[in-house]
Amino acid sequence: MHIPSVIRFVRGLVLAVTAAALPAAAADIVGDEIVVGTVSDLSGPIALLGVPVRDGMLMRFDEANAAGGVHGRRIRLVVEDAGYDPKRAVLAARKLVQRDQAFAFIANMGTPVVMATMPIVLDAGRLHLFPFSPHSATYEPLHPLKFQNFAPYQDYMEAATRHMVRERGYERTCLLYQDDDYGLEVMKGVEKALSGLDRELIERTSYKRGATDLSSQIARLRAARCDFVVLATVVRETVAAMAEARKIGWELDMLVTASGYSAQTHELGGAAVEGLYGVSVLPHPYAEGANGQLAAWIERYRARFNAEPNVWSVMGYTLADLFVRTAEATGPELTVDAFARTLEGMEFSRDYFGSPNYRFTPEDHLGNRHGRLAQIRNGRWELITDYLQ
Amino acid sequence: MLSLVQVLLSGVATGCVYGLVALSFVLIYKATETVSFMQGDLLMLGAFAALGLHLYVGLPLLPAAIVAVIAVGMLGAGLERAVLRRALGQPHLVAVLLTFGLGMMMRGGVASVPAAAQEVHRLPFAADTLAIGPLVLAASHLWVTLATVVLAGLLAAFFRYTRTGLALRACSEDARVAALMGVPVARMHTLSWALGAALAACAGLLLAPVTFVHLNMGFIALKAFPAAVLGGLTSLPGALVAGVFLGVVEALAGLALPEGVKDVVPYALLMGALLLFPQGLGARRAGRNGT
Amino acid sequence: MSQPIRAGAPTGARVAYTLRSLLPWVLILALAVAMLGADYALGKATLVATYAIAGLGVVIVVGQAGQIALGQAALVALGAYAQAVLVRHGVPAVLALLAGVAAGALGGALASLPARRLGGLYFGMSTLAFALIVEEALVRAEPLTHGSAGMTVAAFSILGWRADTTLAQAAVSLVAFAIAVFGCNRLLRSRHGRAWRAVRDDEVAAAACGIAPAAVKMQAFVVGGALSGLTGALYAHWIGFISPEQFGLVFSFELLMLAFIGGARRLAGAAWGALVIVVIPQAIAILRDLLPGDWARAAGLELVLFGAVIVAVVVLRPSGLAGGGARDGASGQNGA
Repeated sequence: MHIPSVIRFVRGLVLAVTAAALPAAAADIVGDEIVVGTVSDLSGPIALLGVPVRDGMLMRFDEANAAGGVHGRRIRLVVEDAGYDPKRAVLAARKLVQRDQAFAFIANMGTPVVMATMPIVLDAGRLHLFPFSPHSATYEPLHPLKFQNFAPYQDYMEAATRHMVRERGYERTCLLYQDDDYGLEVMKGVEKALSGLDRELIERTSYKRGATDLSSQIARLRAARCDFVVLATVVRETVAAMAEARKIGWELDMLVTASGYSAQTHELGGAAVEGLYGVSVLPHPYAEGANGQLAAWIERYRARFNAEPNVWSVMGYTLADLFVRTAEATGPELTVDAFARTLEGMEFSRDYFGSPNYRFTPEDHLGNRHGRLAQIRNGRWELITDYLQ
Repeated sequence: MLSLVQVLLSGVATGCVYGLVALSFVLIYKATETVSFMQGDLLMLGAFAALGLHLYVGLPLLPAAIVAVIAVGMLGAGLERAVLRRALGQPHLVAVLLTFGLGMMMRGGVASVPAAAQEVHRLPFAADTLAIGPLVLAASHLWVTLATVVLAGLLAAFFRYTRTGLALRACSEDARVAALMGVPVARMHTLSWALGAALAACAGLLLAPVTFVHLNMGFIALKAFPAAVLGGLTSLPGALVAGVFLGVVEALAGLALPEGVKDVVPYALLMGALLLFPQGLGARRAGRNGT
Repeated sequence: MSQPIRAGAPTGARVAYTLRSLLPWVLILALAVAMLGADYALGKATLVATYAIAGLGVVIVVGQAGQIALGQAALVALGAYAQAVLVRHGVPAVLALLAGVAAGALGGALASLPARRLGGLYFGMSTLAFALIVEEALVRAEPLTHGSAGMTVAAFSILGWRADTTLAQAAVSLVAFAIAVFGCNRLLRSRHGRAWRAVRDDEVAAAACGIAPAAVKMQAFVVGGALSGLTGALYAHWIGFISPEQFGLVFSFELLMLAFIGGARRLAGAAWGALVIVVIPQAIAILRDLLPGDWARAAGLELVLFGAVIVAVVVLRPSGLAGGGARDGASGQNGA
């Protein structure tokens, strides 16, 4: 082994690396392809969301490509599975930035993943669009490349709780929450609503993700004589909480966040969840009674993926749709900056899915703040109010 | 008072599942000295197998459940023959990693089926309740408890009254002596893995009406480890009793103690028990822990 | 088996030896930079080096002292949180680093206390319980840790220089790793290292020779904890956001696998193991992009392949990738 040659080699390598490691320039569209990256969760704790969201996006991008692309450019969605693990997410984001030259990131999934990858995406000058995280850092402080369109739990749960308590005159509001960032965001909203009405949160109790049995939590809430329970739960725990309460003969009203607003809630819960209130930020695509366009969409989805679409598929489809429409509006000269400035002037009116108005401005990159109330009646969610302001 | 009893009964049901998983763990550990970190995944696999057989093959629920349990048992035996056999006599860590890897493969395999990855499923058990005076019981909880008692009885009878059961016990007591007495030790190892896997699948079927069938239902096994250790790692009845005990304590802690304590209780208990009774719990420790 | 380099060997020979053992790594890095692009490759190198530090800790606890440790990630968490909290309160990152190491070491000492009474698998189970208790404690210490909402961590900086490029991050991690390897190497050759191996090979015999097994195990855990703490402190900066759930059982097992895949008895094993653990999911992701059609969309594919790799390594190379073979790295002198 010749030591000098090794040293020379190392020196050359270091130089090469230094040159290559200078900040990567923003990926302006050069070729005939727009690469959209997503760091999703297909195998971790929220894979139940990740898979339909991805499929919804794939479907919309395929449609755009089949229609000749956006100003002649094909859109390619590159999906990375980080499984809710920020370590894998960081590498996945770097791969998308550098290897795939992703133009934009859409629907990165899970707060740890989003928080770990956002700086990488922004530093590389790529768009960071509509991540699945309730963290306010996804739209605040204002950043030219950060956009969010998921109504924050805190905002819409405040409105929903206020509406329910005011309309129905509950005296003792309580909270059952998942012990993570999601649950804490909801708690803030509920507390704000109650303090605005000069009331207190009577009792709060939590469970860990993956909990088997909620009987002790429900017993605790009952002991506090609650007459209204807000649920910061996901589908399975929503059903468990309602079933447990009904089992012990406790008839009271419960209100679940949009995370529990799913067709699965009544499919799994059956009679036990009848009468449950929920907040919807996007209606579930029921085939029965669907309008013509929606029915056709459901048919296309079934044919493509051999599965029933759910609210998350609609969400994925909508996100991709926002992207395609903004890219089209930007014109043939597509750059990251032009896209972002165009999005800042976009307003997406309500469509056949029944989605809210998404509206972005140069001062506000959060597209929507509102949800609407729904209730399970006769085994399906019925919308009972418009979007609550 | 009523709510106390109510919560207590839920705790017993949950505890039974902990106990069954702990039982499957101990069964394997006792016979082969290998630690299995895939019992949770076998549990999940069992539930999904029954679901698939019922929904897609069209078997009625009971036959589907039986076939699923047998299939998972055979998978356990097959894995023992193919891979796990290599962990015999190796440091514990080898088995820990092997089973963890195999568990990942099972999870991945199930996750590859779109219908399994995208939805929480329900085995169509009746979701009835049963009222005894002012007490209301969920039918599923009763089922779990009853089935656990029956399974425990069957296992006890198997170990006590059948030749194979006896051979398995001999093998667990001292494999070398058993071999000298003409017990086919290798076959006994395969059998114990089959039994352990089948038991885990049973636990999955029993858990299904309580938490539904989904990809992460196997995480419950994390609560079964403390139960297995509390029960002494080598005692089958001990594992079952410790499982029920943990379930009950956890439920009561959720009712009476401050927020968050509930989730640590099993591990705090485990720590305490380990520190207070190392001899009592690990009576057979010396010389059998080749790390 | 490589020729052992004794402490008294001529300096030139040692340098040559070190360089030779570094060569495969330089080649791998060069190849990665050329094939993947610098940022991506350096991002990987950062994580590989950061992981490898905790891997050294596992090598010491598991490979040298022969204990089962199922909760190493909790020690990483302690280091990460110590770092994050102190930096947030204005302590310079380098000083905080020391606190992170100390937090990990203290955690290691605590985790090893049951070893006074327990051995083997029972002790392993107690480390698992310890880890789960630490995770819950981090959730509950909300004023300090922001609980399960998690906390963001600023970039690593020394005297105004901020490590915010991948190159800087990789450099910091590699330097930290080099220091750790150097320290561990010395420790393994010292009286402590011999005591660890004595306890591993035969606890009773070691005790008969005047070695106190409990104290020796605690030393191993303190060192392992300190290394885990260092990993945690760096990890907090590189990832930029920490929450208790990140340091769960999966992380602990990744560290175990890392040590095992690399070869739990050798320090070099930590580096090889870290490479495999970090790179495999990425390699699978890249392979998957090459596969045609819907088949590759299957969500669980990566899990299946990752599991298969672990099983294959355990079955085919039970002594790990760095176990045996003439080229393995920095510590030829403690081969099994």
